[in-house]
Amino acid sequence: MSIETTAADEVTVLARLGEMLRELLEEYGLDDAEITMDTTFHDDLELESVDLVALSGQLREHYGDRVNFATFIAERDLDEIIALTVGELVRYIVASLRATA
Amino acid sequence: MSRIRAGELDVHVQRLTPDAPLDGDAPIVVCVHGLLTDSLASYYFTLGPAFAARGLDVLMYDLRGHGRTTRPPSGYHLERFVDDLVAVLDACDVTRPVHVVGNSFGASVAFGLAAARPDRVASVVVIEGEPPTGEWTRHMADGLADAKTRLAIDEVIGWIADNHGAHTARLSKAANRILQTTTLAEDIPRSATIAADLSAVRCPVFAIFGGDSGLSAQVPHFETHLERCRTVVLPDQGHSVLVERTAELIELIFGWVRDTSRTRTRVR
Repeated sequence: MSIETTAADEVTVLARLGEMLRELLEEYGLDDAEITMDTTFHDDLELESVDLVALSGQLREHYGDRVNFATFIAERDLDEIIALTVGELVRYIVASLRATA
Repeated sequence: MSRIRAGELDVHVQRLTPDAPLDGDAPIVVCVHGLLTDSLASYYFTLGPAFAARGLDVLMYDLRGHGRTTRPPSGYHLERFVDDLVAVLDACDVTRPVHVVGNSFGASVAFGLAAARPDRVASVVVIEGEPPTGEWTRHMADGLADAKTRLAIDEVIGWIADNHGAHTARLSKAANRILQTTTLAEDIPRSATIAADLSAVRCPVFAIFGGDSGLSAQVPHFETHLERCRTVVLPDQGHSVLVERTAELIELIFGWVRDTSRTRTRVR
């Protein structure tokens, strides 16, 4: 897989993830947040751990069993989850999609 | 979004079903979280995936007023939380008796369900919690009134940020929002209670405590009064057993659920 293809995949996944996050943030009246690969879920978006759980439901709806967010989370402790960036999740999704392609 | 309608509430539910069910017919574990700063995430990021990987069917939900479940302004007596749990089980088509794991306040809900609806409960697993007795309502009244007064003070939140970090300060602010916008602090102390002799609880109970938490003092009372009871005290551990001793909890609770389910099947 070439570097160019990976970058294109990341852009696509980031856009989709951004839509899901804006949907979650809408309920808090914060739907205009800028979302980049470096954005952190906790400090930048002020999402709590329960919001990440809700996000996992949206990921499952969109990607089905190809992306297992529960496994991704189970491999991290709470401090790592708090420090999580959007980019880390994007890269995980891209890798999962490629593994099941 | 994984939301279901349960009674008057939209309840945020997450269910992890096992790829390889234990004993063919996976035991169902329902996880009930604690008050104010807590949500189903405490299980989703700890016990939930590990239980599902071992063949259990795991149901987690956000309590009323918490996480991403509806926050009504009133109606926070323990019996309302118990009714919600029955409504969640019904909405999820769970008809078999379940193993109810309760952390802190969640354990009081689990005991409440076991007392009110023994037909729905296979066993209760207590993590650092108390049965909803008269004494419990007095502890809760003091603690909640104190939290409601203190967390409303900006200097207190500032102190929490300085001493416990920004994350804890944000959780405290969220807890304060629940306390100031609902009658939770007033309702819980006025909950329906069960007798101190725990005679209302007939199912097997497994209770796990931190040795440094005051709650472990209940061990002799549990062992004297509960018919089928196992207790474990983890030394050098305070109240945060679920987050700080996750690996041990997974083994202890999984073993309990497996063995209790097999015994139930044999006697049936």
